[in-house]
Amino acid sequence: MSDTRMLDQGTTPIRFARGWHCLGLATAYDDGKPHSIEGFGTKLVIWKDSKGELNVLDGFCRHMGGDLTQGEVKGDNIACPFHDWRWGGDGKCKEIPYARRVPLRARTQRYETAIVNGQLLIWNDPEGSAADRSILPPELPEVMTDKYTDWSWHTKEINGSHCRELIDNVADMAHFYYVHFAFPTSFRNIFEGHTATQFMESTGRPDKTEGGYSDANSTLKSEATYYGPSYMINWLTVDYKGFVTEVILINCHIPTGPDSFLLQYGIAVQKPEGLDEKTVNYIAERYTESFGDGFLQDVHIWENKVAVQNPLLCEEDGPVYQLRRWYEQFYTDVADLKPEMTDRFEFEVDTTKANEYWHAEVADNLARRAADESTQEPVSH
Amino acid sequence: MASFVPTDPDTLEEQRLYTSARMVEVQCLDCLAKVTAKKNSDHHTSIQWSTGARAACPELCRRTRPDGRDSHQACPRMTASIDAAVRSGEIPVGADDGY
Ligand code: FES
Ligand SMILES: [Fe+2]
Repeated sequence: MSDTRMLDQGTTPIRFARGWHCLGLATAYDDGKPHSIEGFGTKLVIWKDSKGELNVLDGFCRHMGGDLTQGEVKGDNIACPFHDWRWGGDGKCKEIPYARRVPLRARTQRYETAIVNGQLLIWNDPEGSAADRSILPPELPEVMTDKYTDWSWHTKEINGSHCRELIDNVADMAHFYYVHFAFPTSFRNIFEGHTATQFMESTGRPDKTEGGYSDANSTLKSEATYYGPSYMINWLTVDYKGFVTEVILINCHIPTGPDSFLLQYGIAVQKPEGLDEKTVNYIAERYTESFGDGFLQDVHIWENKVAVQNPLLCEEDGPVYQLRRWYEQFYTDVADLKPEMTDRFEFEVDTTKANEYWHAEVADNLARRAADESTQEPVSH
Repeated sequence: MASFVPTDPDTLEEQRLYTSARMVEVQCLDCLAKVTAKKNSDHHTSIQWSTGARAACPELCRRTRPDGRDSHQACPRMTASIDAAVRSGEIPVGADDGY
């Protein structure tokens, strides 16, 4: 047998993760019209009823498959554009205007909802359990008050990757240098229960200018926790030349198919004292832009890589296998959960050697650039 | 139901290597918690808790913030116990081919 190591690409699951998934800002859905979003291999319909509740159903009518997202809100129900069957937020067909009675089995897929931090979350479980509200992401006390800027919210469709690629970032220390152009100086993980956390401290690389982490004048303290399979809160403290800003980044996604997902992210910035509204919003937009760029750096990698079930690690790498073991819980029937999927695991990466090598490389890059610039100096005649 | 299915049987052995090889049992010097730990270098540490150990650690049990942020720090007593096990040579320091 040869010693060549083979990539085990494995097979990705058909099922979608159990847990809370965020569909975006609740205000995007509350105008009384039907809204549409792709999710869980189908299309979902979202609308607000007269009590102000947001309802989420499978977007395809159980009668003849009409597209409810193109229907109309009638009373509290969503009416299908094909034959006007009226579906309630509880998933039951409430009325068929041309029929003597509604078939008893007229029940469609409904998703239980929650509003957290001004965002609409829905519970998904292939086994059909009731929503577990004890594992909702926490409310952020000061966000959505005048202490923070309003959410700046963005979406990005990702095709050709399973959303586990995004999760892998939690344990990936070295990619912060290569993909996000920062020196990760401290890197820790804790996985426990339904949460997975990454702590990172970093400073930007002076030889790069692109993207959210690369500013050499700023140091970043980041604490990022996934609450369940798809909703991450990232508390960031950015120190830019001594000017400290608290930033909250929400990074969440909803799987749309076996190898595609919709990434959504939102940013709220704590308003620094003594700055006017315009400056504060300007700062918030800059952060939104730079963290958005950060995601694009990842996206480019995901779109071109392959799936790997057997990553080969070196001792400077983070705990990818333990992270994936944690993530597996959301794809496992509750009866088959294993304690090691949820038991507490702590990991601290040694970044010392890595940073020595990286600083040397950056110094080389800067020296080479300086040399290039001096030889390109225009010659005066 | 399995989700991400490896197609190569060797992958299972890799999973074992990276998650449990070289993990050494450490008893907390102050409470009944017993974990397994590994040191790839002085600064690196892996600590695997079990459900029982987690429940036995009074320090971690005190941390009950709803957002969980207070349980993101290690238990200082367990850290000290692991350091002691390193000093006494029970936990070898150094990685073995990346795991
Ligand atoms: S398909 Fe919806 S009412 Fe007929
Ligand atoms: Fe990344």
